[in-house]
Amino acid sequence: MLKIENLVTEYGAVRALDGISFTAAEGKITTVIGANGAGKSTLLRTISGLERAKSGQITWADKSLIGKAPESIVRSGIAHVPEGHAVISQLTVSENIEMGALFRRRKNRSDVKLAIEEAYALFPRLAERSKQLAGTLSGGERQMLAISRALVSRPKLLLLDEPSLGLAPLVVEQIIQTVDDLCRKSGLTVLLVEQNANTALAVADYGVLLSLGKVVANLPAAELKADASLRAAYLGY
Amino acid sequence: MDQFLSAVFAGTSRGAIYALVALGLVLVWRGAGVINFAQMGQAMFSTYVASTMIMNEYSYWIAFFVALIVGTILGAVVDLLVMRPLSGKRSSAMLASPAMRGTIPVIASLGIVGILQAAAGMIWAAEERGFPTPVNSLGLTIGGNVMPFTAFDLFVIGIVMVVLLITTIFFQKTGMGLAMRASALNPEVARLSGIRTSSVRTLSWAISGAASSLAGLLVTPSANLSPNTLDLILIIGFTATVIGGLDSLPGGVIGGFILGLVISFVNVYRSPSDIFLAILVLLLIVLLVRPQGLLGSKEVRRV
Ligand SMILES: Nc1ncnc2c1ncn2[C@@H]1O[C@H](COP(=O)(O)OP(=O)(O)O)[C@@H](O)[C@H]1O
Ligand SMILES: [Mg+2]
Repeated sequence: MLKIENLVTEYGAVRALDGISFTAAEGKITTVIGANGAGKSTLLRTISGLERAKSGQITWADKSLIGKAPESIVRSGIAHVPEGHAVISQLTVSENIEMGALFRRRKNRSDVKLAIEEAYALFPRLAERSKQLAGTLSGGERQMLAISRALVSRPKLLLLDEPSLGLAPLVVEQIIQTVDDLCRKSGLTVLLVEQNANTALAVADYGVLLSLGKVVANLPAAELKADASLRAAYLGY
Repeated sequence: MDQFLSAVFAGTSRGAIYALVALGLVLVWRGAGVINFAQMGQAMFSTYVASTMIMNEYSYWIAFFVALIVGTILGAVVDLLVMRPLSGKRSSAMLASPAMRGTIPVIASLGIVGILQAAAGMIWAAEERGFPTPVNSLGLTIGGNVMPFTAFDLFVIGIVMVVLLITTIFFQKTGMGLAMRASALNPEVARLSGIRTSSVRTLSWAISGAASSLAGLLVTPSANLSPNTLDLILIIGFTATVIGGLDSLPGGVIGGFILGLVISFVNVYRSPSDIFLAILVLLLIVLLVRPQGLLGSKEVRRV
């Protein structure tokens, strides 16, 4: 279980997270929605260690993550796919995937091999393009690659930042479906950040609505989806 | 014809040394975003160590390997003691502006040169020394014919080729090489992938230190060793990286060979006094036609 308590993160004078508390249940998809600038990316970046929390607590599997570096947080089973299809375009597809498992290649050589094969099986288009530079991929393929890079670390918790951004609806559907399957089949816990609330609430179990760095609603996804007044007030439709 | 061939061989062997210097500079530039002006100061120091050992009757080869190790350690130490603290988040507010963040490591590296030259002056009394070669550096004669190259030329070219081959295999085929490329290209994604980017950065400094100490050992026989003999090599090596593309390892290596050949041809067919003019003209042409260097990527110039 991931537990966030009174989390505050600031960029200089900008308070991006203003005392956030919620929990993400194991084996479930929790989606964090909210308008642009609400603090969604900052939340994921603070969990994965890219940003330093000013105060508050983040607990994962009964251990605090506060003060840990990203490279050690990933070792505790948390993989972060940051905003904007974060892959390294000057590396090949296979290098990008391999990179995600480098830190455990010595101890788990055979499992790393297996994890890479599984990633290719999940996204066969990547297998066809394994020797191409990541920079030559389409947006959807890049997102698949970014997710694969995260999956080969064998995470227990997957942090996904706007995987649908800039992608065609059909591709979004495929990616979200894959994540949903992973969660249902292998018990992966997912924290899915989306601006596209409908897509996210359709697959999520719980929804956390952020506005200006604060949690304004924390409900089962279906209830959040049904609440027209919340949507009108915070999402604008 | 003989004159032409000897210019080619001398140029290639010189170019191989410049390629090593460029390799060291590009490694640290890509790995740490710093142009390390202390690089050949470090190499001077490790070469003095080798020279002192040879004067004390150690064999050339033992001195050679000790110098490489000293160079490697010196590279890592410069990062751990100077560069890493400077880039730390908790440093002074002066470091907050991006311009200062880029300038301070360069100033620090100039400071390191000063310290190393002063230390060498104190330890070795700033005396000029010769430095031996492991093989003959006079014209080679095979079957009564004088060859257009020396045994030492062949030695230099051979050893640099081996180094370049090993470096290529390391970067392209090993996990650590992949970690180094990923850290240089995108530190954030690298860290999220579990790569310890600060250790990787120290490794870049160490490998760069090894490459430059090798360059120091190979170039010193043709000059005399003194605390600032290697300054000129640094300038030429830096020019090679600018010609080849500051962020490209193969680019820097190619730049080194091009410069070696140009210098050698000017030396043979015109006069040594025209060498700097030739380098300047070459540099200007490259910067006008391809500002990012032969193999450099466009983005790097924005830094
Ligand atoms: N690197 C940064 N420096 C300064 N302010 C930032 C930075 N990143 C985000 N912010 C600010 O923090 C707030 C939250 O941003 P973000 O977490 O990116 O929101 P979201 O992902 O929900 O769009 C915004 O006001 C944004 O302008
Ligand atoms: Mg965002």
